[in-house]
Formats: sequence, structure tokens, C-alpha cells
Amino acid sequence: MKNTLRQIAHSPKFMIGFCMILLMVLSVFIYPLIVPGNPLEMIGLGTFFRPGTYVSVYDSVSTDKRYVIKLSDAAEKRLASKLAPEDREVMKTWLLAFGLPEESIDLENTEELLQLWRNTYDPELRFDNMTTAVRKHVQRTDAKLDSLLTDTDIIIASETDGTLTQSGAVGANDYVNVSEIANVRVLPLGTDNFGRDVLKEMISALGTSLLIGLIAGTIATVFGLALGLLAGYVGGIVDDIIMFVTNLFTVIPSFVLLILISFSISQTQRGTVTVAVVIGLTSWVWTTRSVRAQVVSLRNRDHVNLSKLSGHSLPRILVADILPYIASYVIMAFILQISSGILAEAQLSMLGLGPRTTTTPTLGLMMYWAMLYTAHINGAWWAYFPIVVLIACVSFSLNLMNTGLDQVFNPQLRG
Amino acid sequence: MAKKMLEVKDLTTKYITRFRENIYAVDHVSFEVEEGKTLGIAGESGCGKSTLALSLMGYYFPPLYYSGGEITIDGRNISGLKPDDVRKSILGTEIAYIPQAAMNALNPTAKIIRFIEDVIHAHDPKKTKKDIYDLAKERFEILNLPSDVLQKHSVELSGGMKQRTVIAISTILSPKVLIADEPSSALDVTSQKLVIKMMYDLMNMGYIKSMIFITHELPLLYNVTDDIMVMYAGQIVESGSARQMVFDPVHPYSKGLMDSIIVPEEGTRDAKLTAIPGTPPNLKDPPKGCRFADRCKYVMPLCQTSFVTMRRFGELDDDGNAESQRRYRCIVPVHELKETFKREGGLRNTGGAAI
Amino acid sequence: MKGYRKYFGKKILWFFITLFFAVVLNFVLPRLMPGDPVANITARITAGMSNVTATQAIYNEYIKKFGTDQPMPVQFVRYIGNLLRGDFGQSFSQYPRTVGDILASSMAWTVGLQLPAIVTGWIIGNILGAIAAYIRKGFDKVLLPISLMISGLPAFGLAIILLMVFGLGLRVLPLQGGYAQSLIPAFSLTFFKSVIYHYWLPFLSIVIIFIGGQAIGMRSMSIYELNADYVKYSRFMGIKDSKIVGYVFRNAMLPQISGLALSLGTMVGGALVAEIIFNYPGLGTTILGGITGSDYPLISGATLIITIMVLTTSFIIDIVYGFIDPRVKAAQYD
Repeated sequence: MKNTLRQIAHSPKFMIGFCMILLMVLSVFIYPLIVPGNPLEMIGLGTFFRPGTYVSVYDSVSTDKRYVIKLSDAAEKRLASKLAPEDREVMKTWLLAFGLPEESIDLENTEELLQLWRNTYDPELRFDNMTTAVRKHVQRTDAKLDSLLTDTDIIIASETDGTLTQSGAVGANDYVNVSEIANVRVLPLGTDNFGRDVLKEMISALGTSLLIGLIAGTIATVFGLALGLLAGYVGGIVDDIIMFVTNLFTVIPSFVLLILISFSISQTQRGTVTVAVVIGLTSWVWTTRSVRAQVVSLRNRDHVNLSKLSGHSLPRILVADILPYIASYVIMAFILQISSGILAEAQLSMLGLGPRTTTTPTLGLMMYWAMLYTAHINGAWWAYFPIVVLIACVSFSLNLMNTGLDQVFNPQLRG
Repeated sequence: MAKKMLEVKDLTTKYITRFRENIYAVDHVSFEVEEGKTLGIAGESGCGKSTLALSLMGYYFPPLYYSGGEITIDGRNISGLKPDDVRKSILGTEIAYIPQAAMNALNPTAKIIRFIEDVIHAHDPKKTKKDIYDLAKERFEILNLPSDVLQKHSVELSGGMKQRTVIAISTILSPKVLIADEPSSALDVTSQKLVIKMMYDLMNMGYIKSMIFITHELPLLYNVTDDIMVMYAGQIVESGSARQMVFDPVHPYSKGLMDSIIVPEEGTRDAKLTAIPGTPPNLKDPPKGCRFADRCKYVMPLCQTSFVTMRRFGELDDDGNAESQRRYRCIVPVHELKETFKREGGLRNTGGAAI
Repeated sequence: MKGYRKYFGKKILWFFITLFFAVVLNFVLPRLMPGDPVANITARITAGMSNVTATQAIYNEYIKKFGTDQPMPVQFVRYIGNLLRGDFGQSFSQYPRTVGDILASSMAWTVGLQLPAIVTGWIIGNILGAIAAYIRKGFDKVLLPISLMISGLPAFGLAIILLMVFGLGLRVLPLQGGYAQSLIPAFSLTFFKSVIYHYWLPFLSIVIIFIGGQAIGMRSMSIYELNADYVKYSRFMGIKDSKIVGYVFRNAMLPQISGLALSLGTMVGGALVAEIIFNYPGLGTTILGGITGSDYPLISGATLIITIMVLTTSFIIDIVYGFIDPRVKAAQYD
């Protein structure tokens, strides 16, 4: 036993997988301490805010501490960030119509483009191949450029009795120190379609999903183990009945059962635990099959017969004389069940049959909403991609642990 | 003097583990087998006897590697041959092997005749299927196997039939040396006798020239072999005729082995080897001196430090013939060992374990 | 021949038993809902529905379909009768289409997508697994973690990654649908081209997952076989290694075939969810639509069709397996 544990601890595959899982479990407990609050709170008004640091404009403007920093490329950067790609396209259209060769126009280089524009653009010019609508569009773009280029102060005014009085001004070289701003929120993964902090929600969801996996895995393993032990050891009619049911549920796709059962449970009752239990109850067949096969081969071993002759009770024989020999297998099956339970929840939720809850997020539900709001077509990768990566990481680390155990228990598989 | 069928000189082979350690499971083993003779190799499990069987084939694959020594079969040295030449011209035709688990030795999804065709074509690609079938049928008849077995898969055969089928296949190319590793361990006494009788029949008919039995069942060796060799920790510790080895062992280890069984009556199956206290040394790092020293009840300080070589000794046996074949590996002279054994008294309480 | 007959007899009997139980489950599970199922379902469906004709049709449909005034056995006989006539009922969410009509079209898409994917994935996965087992060392060290990573991924996860890379990133393949939306399904070259163009991403995401799972299974199976006693014996009888490798892979591959029959249900389930990512017009998307629209007859029909498809395919695989693996015949003599 001690030797086995040492071997397991020396298996790099198992340890990597184990540490990954440990890290995830730790983050589930630690992250809420760092960023407190309800993970399902809809903090953003609007859908799919990009990942980044959100600084309160109100606080930035009204702060007393303002620093003047002169950076030579500040103006250019500002311009580049404000000159949208569409505007650049419009400028290009005009320049091409003016007769400039295409290769002389570099849309990426803002400074050169502006220089070119200033030197060539004449609002009075008309081209035959340009409609009036386009010409007006170009004029509007030019006006916008002009306003961008002036770096006059922005006046801050306050309103009293319908009259505005200047209360301050923000210059082009004014800076604030983010650490001195009262309200700054970092959204490392932006927000989802409901305006919820994706990272915070995801870590909370990871906890729920792991819990679902754990519940489903425990139920499936306990159920499968009990049935397998009974069928294998008792044999006879008990074996026949159990194996009949097991074979039946092996071929009838558990996915279909999951859908039917989940749909039949009324919406209000379909909480996290219910879904986990349903998943557990539909995935015990593999454990039963393998446990039974192993028990059958153990049934007539000498030590079992000895125990039988000593008049030990059935539960005692099963627990003391048979279980230790299949323990390694059962542990591996358990790990596998956890991983497939998490995947099953995700798949069920993708179909809209996940936990119907407004209080706890799950990884599957997050995927469901992201897909329903077509996050992938809207380019909001942060709403679904991290979740896929996380699901993959969970099942990869569990699989890795299993492969490590497999190589310890079955040495011939070693590479 | 009879022709030497197999001559092994200082054969050494090693396992290389995945931690790159060398384990010399067969360490400078030398012996010979003459035409028409049967040699038995005995020892506890893990003493290297099965590895010796594999090593004698001259065909090595990981994790077993050749390390040194020579194997000569019927005057032809096979140690220097290329693996593919060994495969084509030695395996099956010069030396053949019956594995320990004959039950699983046949490919479960191929018909027996297909496998025989593959075996024969590996040596003689031109042989027609008809000739192969006729040959197989003839050999199967000698072994009392109905010819329709040829058209079956191994999974459809009973245990005894599988065993005989494997013997038939192993001897189909009339090898000069046949090595049988635990030929009977999975069979009951009656089938065990039958199988051994069949192998002798094959030898008497000239299909095989000599045999090596490897087993932990000493009674079997006493009854069926001419000579016995005892192995311990990769080395031979004593060899001699079957009779001498059973009734007059000189090495403390063979003495222990022989004493731990009741004098073999025919077919006493319970008379298996009983353990001598202690475990064999780890071959990863074998002791410098005598490998049996840690378990020997006659151990002396010199045993732990000095390298012990194989020694010949010749006295006259009961019939007055010189015992030129006897060898043993111990620093104590033969007569002193024998005196010690005699002082210790009766047969049962000498070197053996009191189990 | 006796062994084979027994094997096939058993398989055929088993096929009908499982089919029967699958149908029974399909019938019973929704009726186990707490409370009055008809009231439950109609309440769920008609909520937020403005089409009066449809609402009325739903109500009538349910009275007819469930016949709750009748005892269970009568209901069951009626249910079976309807099934045998191919009558799956009326869809609510896609009224006035019938469930049979919807399923017929989506089934074709799903079979067209999954069957080639399973076959391709099985073949490639087994070849890779066998190579990994035979070569070990470097190849194995690279392939095993990759396979583990991939087979741990749900099919829909890979679907999203592929979609990001090829659809959104490289913009070489379309994001969704089974064919271009501007086209009407027809037997024309343009339509066919569009189908192939939309086929790649869903196909790849399913195939790659299958390959990963199969490769892992085949690798362990081959390693197990490579250590078998017959390998050693064949070597010592002078048979060439290349020939022995042939024995080994045949023997390792055969259980992979029957394994396919057993794991088919799980695979199909995963692949159906992957369809949703691409809005592929198959059964997966249909089920999603049914669930979103609380379209009970559609869900019931779709799950039944999936079950029948899986059972039939497993049955065919089992029968084929019986012919090619002699071990099956021997097992029947016990």
C-alpha cells in the first residue's frame, strides 16, 4: 500500500494532473476572497464588454490629482486610436479617385496617411466616378479629422439652475494615476451577454461543475460498484437480472435517457444537485460491467473461500476480501466518472436542459448562453473560449491522473 | 562417445530495465547435451532458468540482450550469426522452444494450419500448401491429434489439445534441440505423463535429437531426464546425472532443494519445492562472493568475499564409472561438504527449510 | 456452425429486447412527470404563444396523443400503433410540420455527417494507436498526451476551437449551417458544393475527437497484445516480425470493433451537441429547438430515432464482428 502510494507520487503524469486539479479547486476557494461579490451580479449594462481594465470616467475627471506628462507620440497614438478603419477606407477611396497609385497609400501608417491627406485633399474637387453621397461622406470624414487634430482642452462644466459654469478643464497632456482612482474594475475576461464578470462567473461555475462531477461520479461509482459486487459474487439469478439491466443500459444511449429524464423533471425542480444525480444514475453501467468481471475472477480465490468457510457475512467478505483487490480499478473508474459527469452536464446544458437555476452558474450554462447570444459570431471570444479551455483542462488533468495510475497498476503500459 | 548436440560456453545475457540498469539473469553458464540425452534444469522461480531457455535460442529482443559466450548446435556456432540468419536457419530447425504457457502460445484468431504455413514459409517459402498440410497431418497423427484440428482456431481446442498442438508445431521442422519450459505445469498428472511420453516418442522416432526440460518440479526431472543442472541467481551451482543429483547432492543449495522434497515417488504432485529461508540476491547488484552465502547455513567469512568458480570433481559412482560430468560451485571441498552433511544426520534436517 | 448460430440468435433476440425497452422508456418517462402531464406540457408550451389555431391544435393533439382518460396499456398500444404507421405526431414549435417530416430531413443530415466521421475516425485512430504502440519512444510520447488532450475535450469544445481558427481567424470556412442560406436544397452542383463547403468544420470536429479516443484504446490494446505469449512463441518459431505485427494488430483491432458498438451511444451524443455549435440542420439542432420550444413530440420522436439508429448500428457491427472474430464462436460453446 505504502509502496503503491510512493509509486503514484513518482508518476509524473499523475502528479501533473493532480496539481492541475488542486490548483483549480484552490482557485475556486481563493478567487472569491480576492474579488468578492455575487458571481451572477449583472454589473455591465449591455452585452459582451471586452476584457480589460475599466476606469471610472467620472472619478478620473473629478479627481484632484492630475499629472502633466509630455510624451512625444501621444498625439499620434490618440489619432491612430480614433481614426477608425472605415475612415481610413474612405480616405483611400478619395485618394485613389484623385489618381494616386494604390501602393503609395499605407493605411496602417497614420502619420504618413495624414500627411498625404493634408497635401492632396481639396473639398472642392469633383470626380465623375464618385457619387454625391460618397463625396459628402468624404467631407464629413475630413471634418472629423480636423476636430481630432485640434488638441484644445475639454471643458468640464457643472449645471446649476439651467446655467453651465466651467468647473475645470482637461488638457491633452493631463494624466491620472489609476491607483488613485476610486473605481477601477479589472474584467480580465470581459462580461457575458447579461453583463456579468466572465472570469468571476467562470471560477464559480468551475466549482459547481466540479461538484456536479463529484456527485455524479460518486453516485455512479457507488451504484456501479454495489451492483457489480453483487452480480459478480452472488451470481445466479441476481447476476442474471443485474447483467440484463446493465446490458440494456449499455446499448440504449445514456445521452437519450438524460434528455428524456431531464425534460420530464419539471423546470423548477431541475437544480444543480438534481442534474448531478440524474447524470450519476445514467452512467453506472461501465463500472458495473468491469467490477463484475473482476469479482468473478476473484470469487474462487483461496482467501475468499477461507473467509467463506469461516462463516463471515456477505458484506464483510465483499468489503474485506474482494474490495481491496479491485480498489485500484474503482479509483480509476471514479476519476473517469467525475470527468464524464462534468462533460455530461456541459452537453446537457448546451441543449438547454442544464440546471435551471438563477443562483449558481455552471460551465455548461455559460456555454449555452454564449451560444444562444451567438457570441462566436459577434466576435466575443472571451465569453466561450476560456470555458472550453477550462473544460478541456479539467478533463485533461483527470485523464492524465488516470493514465498515471494505469501505468502504476498495469506496468506493461509504461512507455 | 555420443555426438554433442548442444554446447554452451560462458553464455551471459542481460535484461536492461527502463532505468538503464543491467541485470545479468544468465551469468557465464556452460554445459552440453549429447544426442539422445535429456537435460533438466531446476531452480526456484526467478533463478534465471526461464531466461536461460530464451537465451539458448540465440535470438534476442528487448528487454533481453546478448552479452557474451557461445552456443554451438551440432557443431555449428550460432553466436556470431546475424539475427535474421538465426531466425531463418536456426529457430525451429536447429533449436525449438515450447513456452511455459502453451495454452496462450497460439494466435487466437488464426487457424492452426495457417500458423503452420507461416512457420514453414518463414524457413522455406517455396513449400506448397499441400506438402505442408501432409506434413502437419502426419505429425499430428503421431501426437494423437485428429487432422480436423488443423482447420480450427486455437480457442476451439481444449487445454490438452492445445499443449499437443504446440508440441507438434514446435517439432514440425525436426529441430536438433527441443527446449520445454515448464511443459506440464498447467496439466493434471495423467496428461503430464502423456505429454512427456509423446516428446520421448518424437525423440525415439528421430524427429528431435535432444531435449532440455526446465521446471521447478524436481520429481519430474528425476523421472524423465538423464542429467540435472541446478541454477541459482543466474548461475549454475551444481550439475550431474539425475540419480547423483537427487541422492548425492554436494552443493548446500542443491542439498537444500533435494531435501525439501520427499524422495520422489512416481507422480507425487504435492512434492513441490519448499522454500529455503531467505530470498535470492538482487541481480542488479549481485554479491561479490558466493551468491548463496546469505542463505547458506554453512557460510564462512571467506564465502562473502572470494569469487567462487565452477569446479569439477570425479570420484567413482556406485557402478564404478568416473563421475567426470559432475561440477559444483562452492569453496568447500567435496569431501568436507559430504562429511558435514553426514554429521548433520538424517535426510530431512540438513540444509532444507523446516516447513 | 453451431457456435455462430447461437451467437447470431442471441444478438437478434437481444436487439429486439433492447428496442422494446427503449420504446417503453420513451413512452413511460414523460408520463412519470409529477402531476398531470397534459396540463404540465400544455401549460409550458402555450405560455407566450399567440397563435390560437396552434394552441388549439396542441391541446387537441395532447388529448389524442396521451389519451389520459384511457388506462396505461391502452395508451401504450395506441402509441405503438402510431409508431408503426410512422406517425410521430404534430410538432408544436414548427407547426404545421409533422414530427415525422422534420425528423426525416434532419436525420439525413446527421447520418450524412456522423457515419463518415465515425468510420474515418475509427480507421485513422486505430492506425495511429497501433503505430504508437509499436514504435513507443518518441512518437508515443507525443501522441499519447495529444490524444488524451483531444479525447478529454467535448466534441462541441473542439468544434468551437476549429470554428475560431478556420471560420473566424482564417475565414476559409463558413461559420454555420449545412449549406448557404441563399440556396434552396436541390440536386444541383451549386448546392452540392455548398454542402461540402459547410461540411468540413462539423466533420473535422467530430472526426478528431473520435481519432483521439480510438487511438488511446488501440494503443493499450496493442501493447497488451504485443506482450502476449503467442508473440514470443511465433518469434521463436522463426516467423518474421512484420508478419507477427500483422497478427497483433488484427487481434487488437477486433475488440476495437465490438468496442465501437458499445461506445457508439456516447459518441453520437457528443456529436449531436457539436452540431449545435454550427447550427447544422441535423438532429442535435432539432433537439435543441424542440427543448427551447418545449416541443414534446419532437423531442420524444428525435430521441427515439437516435436510439433506434444507435441500436441498429450496434447490431450490425455485432453481426459483422461475429463473422470475423473466431473467438466469438468459441465463447458460445461455454
